[in-house]
Amino acid sequence: MADEFAKGLGILTTAGLAWMVLAGWYTTASFAEGQLLAPPPSDPGVYASIGLFLKDALFWFAVLGALTFWVVVPLVEQAREAWAERSS
Amino acid sequence: MSDNDTPETETDGGTGIVPPDDETPTWSERKERTQGLSRLTYEYFERARREDQDLRQESSYVERDVLGFPAWPHEMIRNLALTSFFVGMIVFLSATLPPEMMPPANSSSTPAVILPDWYLYWSFGLLKLGPLNPDLALLGGKSLMADRTYGVLANLVVVGAITIVPFLNKGAARRPVEQPFWASVGVFGVIFAFTVAVLSVKNLVPMDSHLLFDLTFLLPFVGGFIAYAILKSMREGYMFTLNRRYYRLRPPK
Repeated sequence: MADEFAKGLGILTTAGLAWMVLAGWYTTASFAEGQLLAPPPSDPGVYASIGLFLKDALFWFAVLGALTFWVVVPLVEQAREAWAERSS
Repeated sequence: MSDNDTPETETDGGTGIVPPDDETPTWSERKERTQGLSRLTYEYFERARREDQDLRQESSYVERDVLGFPAWPHEMIRNLALTSFFVGMIVFLSATLPPEMMPPANSSSTPAVILPDWYLYWSFGLLKLGPLNPDLALLGGKSLMADRTYGVLANLVVVGAITIVPFLNKGAARRPVEQPFWASVGVFGVIFAFTVAVLSVKNLVPMDSHLLFDLTFLLPFVGGFIAYAILKSMREGYMFTLNRRYYRLRPPK
């Protein structure tokens, strides 16, 4: 159980950090308001569009990765245990 | 330090079997801890006990009260790892997200909201205890002192209470479960520091200010009582002797 928690936390923090840096580069108009969540630039170049894609991918990786290890994997394990008890 | 590194001064004939002392768990106690975190904790403490015993058996070892892990390499490697991590994090963040250069402060205009730095909010909140300043019938319904004097006095009282705590409780406990009362006093203090800080910015909090004022003094008691109840119920099954053995940093009272 502790291992699964550490994996989820590692994914959340690492991917979240990378997301924060990319959002700080590409979707931060000003640090006073709308920080990290400003709308993306209208005509990004190649590097900016790679960065924007990576930003979204990392965001969903952080959310879904943490959810997977904290919710889905324990659920599946508990279901398998229950199933094994039932069939035995 | 693994078992292979220990010098050949062992009296166990190289079998790795050491005679049990009165702290050694029985076989049934060992069997109860077969998995997960309890197993890991048990193995850690058992190994620490073994190293401790090896140290005691070495001829150069001086018997003393303070037992712990050697500073080198155990503590130093851990500290260096933590230090490297945080230094790396600072370097990474300052390289990738340099802070914005703000315009210089204009000393000729007064800002709309005047507040101290956030870590002084608690003190600022203690200045706003006017409603608690009693109107004394003896003085014909007047207060003994002005609200602002009362607020300053409240600061003195709180700082004084924090100063006194180390003299009231020497802090022999290593875990909150060992002294639930003092742990709940601590929880009370932490929550009160937070609520009184919120009170200091009450015109920015979207809540009825009278309710906020009541909650400021109610929530710390609620939190303290809950902490006390939880810690009391956690005393069941807590290994006081094991803890006392490995954290014997002060002589017993």
